[in-house]
Amino acid sequence: MAGNARPAPCADASPRASPHCYPRRNVHHPCLAVIHFDQVSKHYATGQEALSQVSFEVASGEMVFVTGHSGAGKSTLLKLLALIERPSEGQVTLDGQNLAGVRHGRVPALRRKLGMVFQDHRLLMDRSVFANVELPLIIVGMTLAERARRVRAALQKVGLLEHEDKPPQTLSTGEQQRVGIARAIVARPAVLIADEPTGNLDPQLAAEIMALFADFQQVGTTVLVASHDLRLIKQMKKRVVILDHGRMVDDVPAMEVA
Amino acid sequence: MAASQRKGGSARSRPRRVATWREQHAWSLRTSMQRLSAHRLGTLLTVLVMGFALALPLAFWLVLGNLEQLASSLGRTQAVNVFMQLDASSSSVQTLADKLRQRDDVSTVTIKTPDQGLHELASMQGFANALGALDYNPLPYALVVQPRQHATATGVHALAVALRAMPGVEQVQDNGAWRQRLDALVDAGRRVVIVLALLLALAALLVVGNSVRLDIRGRAEEIGVLKLVGASHAFVRRPFLYAGLWYGLASGVVASVLVLVMEAALAGPVGELVASYGGRLQIGGLAWWQLLLAPLLAAALGWLGARLVSARWLRRAA
Repeated sequence: MAGNARPAPCADASPRASPHCYPRRNVHHPCLAVIHFDQVSKHYATGQEALSQVSFEVASGEMVFVTGHSGAGKSTLLKLLALIERPSEGQVTLDGQNLAGVRHGRVPALRRKLGMVFQDHRLLMDRSVFANVELPLIIVGMTLAERARRVRAALQKVGLLEHEDKPPQTLSTGEQQRVGIARAIVARPAVLIADEPTGNLDPQLAAEIMALFADFQQVGTTVLVASHDLRLIKQMKKRVVILDHGRMVDDVPAMEVA
Repeated sequence: MAASQRKGGSARSRPRRVATWREQHAWSLRTSMQRLSAHRLGTLLTVLVMGFALALPLAFWLVLGNLEQLASSLGRTQAVNVFMQLDASSSSVQTLADKLRQRDDVSTVTIKTPDQGLHELASMQGFANALGALDYNPLPYALVVQPRQHATATGVHALAVALRAMPGVEQVQDNGAWRQRLDALVDAGRRVVIVLALLLALAALLVVGNSVRLDIRGRAEEIGVLKLVGASHAFVRRPFLYAGLWYGLASGVVASVLVLVMEAALAGPVGELVASYGGRLQIGGLAWWQLLLAPLLAAALGWLGARLVSARWLRRAA
């Protein structure tokens, strides 16, 4: 696994020439980039240039922070990965699949490859913690016994097993965020993306949440976290991609994060 | 990893696919029930409005069915009067009567002599003096032909036509015009009921469509979450289709119950009417299959309404 090191350049032709140069299912291929942004720009209809000419790769099993001021394009970058938005220029490749080729009807299947965590956690307040976490498994039609096993495993990982029957609003903000994380990982996606997951939390809780993400990286999940909390990012000692006004201004390898 | 597991999913075995289908539908069913019970008053109002809209054509159907039956049973009980030519002899009339009694579609034949006819007329108020002025009996022999007990209106008509062609018959009076008028009336009634039923079904469709549209708008956040965690369009839509189905089914039951209540309320007067006809009229309620069909058709209508609306509004909610 690539671990914290930068991925070695691929021996194949450049990804731009052939977006399928990577063997798609061999997740553990050392030079496999699970996420690949190639000269990606995004202009909104309002004229705002959210991203311009952004290129970077994330190797399988890597954990990367995307940071920058608000409006730097962090959220847009994640939205392009989940196909909530489509790029104006350039190509985004996820798990060997060029997202430009994903038709509208195939977007749900693509999103099932991703686990997503949001700043406002986006839980269904009229359902129990268990029912919330269970949702991605129902969507793929897993049986109840299988679902129960997986949901409990996920809740245990985030330390909320004893709260499974409660409605989310009876939990603290940090706990609600952890329910959101359990939902994101319950289907065991290859890639976990999080948009300001600690935005509403105090430093102590934020550190705990970030430690959780690092745990998922330890078991082989590729993790991409957008955050503006520089102090916390420095503590984590992971690779950091820095955006400023839609441009990628720096890409700091994990070793050099001080 | 999950990706490779799902890759194998395209070649899933049949029982696995059935299990998937079952789990997804079970969730949709539960979710639709939860959503409907989350706003009970709104659900109840929708069901009642739709139920009343559907009860009307059902009631018309009931009335029309009875009217048809009434028409045919009234037609059936009418005797056909055959007036012979003036010069018909008593023996020829007797022969004709005997011949008619042989027919399958005739139950009884009564001969009325001219004297009997005159006597009947004389007994009517106001005719006695007028008849006294006559120096001869102008009346012909007449036969009162009672059709067979279960003859249909067309059967009676055919009998009348046959009678008209028989030798010595001057005139046949079978009240056919009256029956035709009633038939035409029933026919017109049937069309009115069809048009009304279509209009009211359209109204029910609009009611259920509007309710589902409001449901979708109220659930915009939930729909967004479902889509973000990878739910397909069909998966997001399914609970709303189930909701339409429940709205329809419940309103169909309401309509059936309303018609049953109406039947019960009218049972007294209708019973008296039947008694006044000596029990020869048959008036009935809706058959069990009609009462069963109403909720099923209404459920299909609700599903259709939900489908029409969700296609448009779910795309917008994305």
